[in-house]
Amino acid sequence: MFRILTEGNFPCTFICSDPKHFEEEFSGISLGASNSVQNFHPAVLSLGMQYASGTIRGGNARAKAMLRTFQQVIRDYEPPAPSSPSSSRGGGKEDDVRHDLDHRIIKPAFQYWTTKCRPHSVSMGNAFTFLKLAVASLDRDMSVEEVKEILVDTIDAYIHERIDIADEAICKHGSSKIVDGDVILTYGCSSVVEVLLMDAAREKGADTFRIIVVDSRPLLEGRALVARLADAGIECTYILLNALSYVMMREVTKVFLGAAALMSDGSVLSRVGTACVALMARSNNIPVLVCCETYKISNRVQLESITVNELGNPDDVISASCAMNGAASTAADCKQIDSVLGNWRDMPNLKVLSLLYDLTPSEFVSGIVTEMGILPATSVAVLLREMNPQDTNTAFMGSM
Amino acid sequence: LARIPQLAETATRPPQTTMSSSTTTTDESPVLQDLRRHLTGSSTDSGAAIDPEHRTAVALPVAAIKSLLGVIQRSQANTMMGLQEELRGAAEEMMAFATDCPGSLQLLGGRSHIALASGCELFMKYVTRAYLELPDFAACIAQIMERGERFAGISLAARDRIADVGQAFIQDGQTVLTHGWSRVVSNLLVKAAEHRHFSIVVLEGRPDAAGAKAAKVYADAGIPTTVVLDSAMSYVMENVDLVIVGAEGVVENGGIVNKIGTYGLGIAARELGKPFYVAAESYKFARLFPLNQSDLPPLGRNAAILSFVDTASWEMTGGLVGRPPPSAKEGADGEQVDSSSIPGVVQFKSEQVKVKNPPCDYTPAKYITLLFTDLGVLTPSAVSDELIRLYQ
Repeated sequence: MFRILTEGNFPCTFICSDPKHFEEEFSGISLGASNSVQNFHPAVLSLGMQYASGTIRGGNARAKAMLRTFQQVIRDYEPPAPSSPSSSRGGGKEDDVRHDLDHRIIKPAFQYWTTKCRPHSVSMGNAFTFLKLAVASLDRDMSVEEVKEILVDTIDAYIHERIDIADEAICKHGSSKIVDGDVILTYGCSSVVEVLLMDAAREKGADTFRIIVVDSRPLLEGRALVARLADAGIECTYILLNALSYVMMREVTKVFLGAAALMSDGSVLSRVGTACVALMARSNNIPVLVCCETYKISNRVQLESITVNELGNPDDVISASCAMNGAASTAADCKQIDSVLGNWRDMPNLKVLSLLYDLTPSEFVSGIVTEMGILPATSVAVLLREMNPQDTNTAFMGSM
Repeated sequence: LARIPQLAETATRPPQTTMSSSTTTTDESPVLQDLRRHLTGSSTDSGAAIDPEHRTAVALPVAAIKSLLGVIQRSQANTMMGLQEELRGAAEEMMAFATDCPGSLQLLGGRSHIALASGCELFMKYVTRAYLELPDFAACIAQIMERGERFAGISLAARDRIADVGQAFIQDGQTVLTHGWSRVVSNLLVKAAEHRHFSIVVLEGRPDAAGAKAAKVYADAGIPTTVVLDSAMSYVMENVDLVIVGAEGVVENGGIVNKIGTYGLGIAARELGKPFYVAAESYKFARLFPLNQSDLPPLGRNAAILSFVDTASWEMTGGLVGRPPPSAKEGADGEQVDSSSIPGVVQFKSEQVKVKNPPCDYTPAKYITLLFTDLGVLTPSAVSDELIRLYQ
């Protein structure tokens, strides 16, 4: 995570000293870059590219892709040649498959993604902690083949139980709240909310409810969602965030939101703009349901959105045309609009900030839909205790 | 048009014997017969005294669990799965009875059946857990039966424990506001009155005159009681010190489902800074998460049958107020008596006037200060913790 510190009275960004350098880091990952000493598995590098370029977005997608990549890496893993007699300590750490896997393969890959490609999400972090635990709890005397098999199976089980089955359970609990005539609002593109709405349309009929998809720049993730929902036969409306109050006061009956993470005090970390939607719904007395699997629960507590957040590419904010695979107007129009602040880097008093996440306080959340059922925001700490016991030990977290 | 043939019946017959002369019991399943029996307390083995002023002798969930015990006793199943199937079927039957059968209305008083559902679910969860501990089928059944027999006693003990923890919150010289008729709350207040001097304000409690019933009990116990109109609740709020109500069910987020009017009471109490306490046994904790008033479980056909009754009605209050009506028998040609001739019944002649009378409302957790339960004094957010543990 990048930190935003204050210098004097003016908040400024401290990622690296020079915004240009940031651009290089962000947009150019070259294979075999000069400062990468280790040889990574090609799948690791390819996933890193996908993270950095934004091809894979969303908590579930990133965590799943990471786990699948680790499965691939583990399958292809070859233990190092037995240490030469001169440096051998015989049965010492070097011969421990678990230690080698952890220190030479798994941890460096994760650090590479986090530092060179894109900061990890809470979902990735929790899945990584789980994997390290799984490696550490293996029997010391196992053969390499056994280790591989067990780890691959364990990862399969984790994905199946904590993500796939959890999503099914969330669908079941969430769609029980959808009644005839509902106008449901959602923000951005959450994978679990999409599955929930599709499921509800299938079970209750696509004409029992309407959906309003709220979207925002620069990512405009909601467009893909609304296209898929409309294809499924559901009546959809698409608006940008600035039109929110219009629909909220008049039409909306329920709000379903996704989450990147749940903090242990019940506040929700999600795509920037979510807090806005939740606040507006709350002030109009509209119930807000946040859909989140329990593996995304973090034992951190965050008080506001600024201290710990992730920065996106500032040029996306500046560019007035659609930054991401957009159907812009003519090239000339784009050039003209973009030229307005095109030289922002040369303006000494101007900083451009593209935040990716924000924090929704628990008071704005009516209920959290998890695979355990619909729970109040105050129960997130209880879920952390019950479902993610390894995360409640803060001393362990510190070693990560 | 809302006719109330039942009122005509009760004018001539006292409540307890109504069920025995009903013609439907013979073709009812044994489960429902059991439920009736336990609710009216007409069986001799219930161990609980039949109180003529209270419509049911035991709490609804307790009666439901006893009926489920009867299912186990009669069951021919040899495996736990078979038994659980039977139990589930019986529970569904009782729920259907509560929501759709007109005859259930008088028995349950139109109260929410949330407690019925939560009691059944709790019992079945217990059965599953007992089987995990005691895989031997016969021994497991024996333990379940034994525990179930004690359940009525446990329920009464729960009420006493609630009275113990709740008493400390009432101090000398205070005024307590209460709403609806709840055995738990009345037990708490009567026991508290043994050690402290305080007075009670009771809301009238239309349409079933619950407040009048409660007032009689408190007055008999020697507590100075005032009865006010339901609509006067905000007016009296500034002069009371605390509010205590019971609950039909306690939902997942710590909110409660209780007699209509409780929600408004909660809002008024919070606005004027008065603590709002709920007294409820832990078997009333239900795995429900209402988002708003319309999100409560549907009442089925029974919702339409209730209508407004003037509480100055003799038979509704058990002879406490009003005067006896003229004898309301059927006309010579079998015609139903026009209920508008019975004093105290409000009748709307126009087809354009719709009468809606929801018996229960949902009070969100943020209006509730504390819950007095047999597990101790809980904050609303602790209810979910308990439920997660219970249904883990």
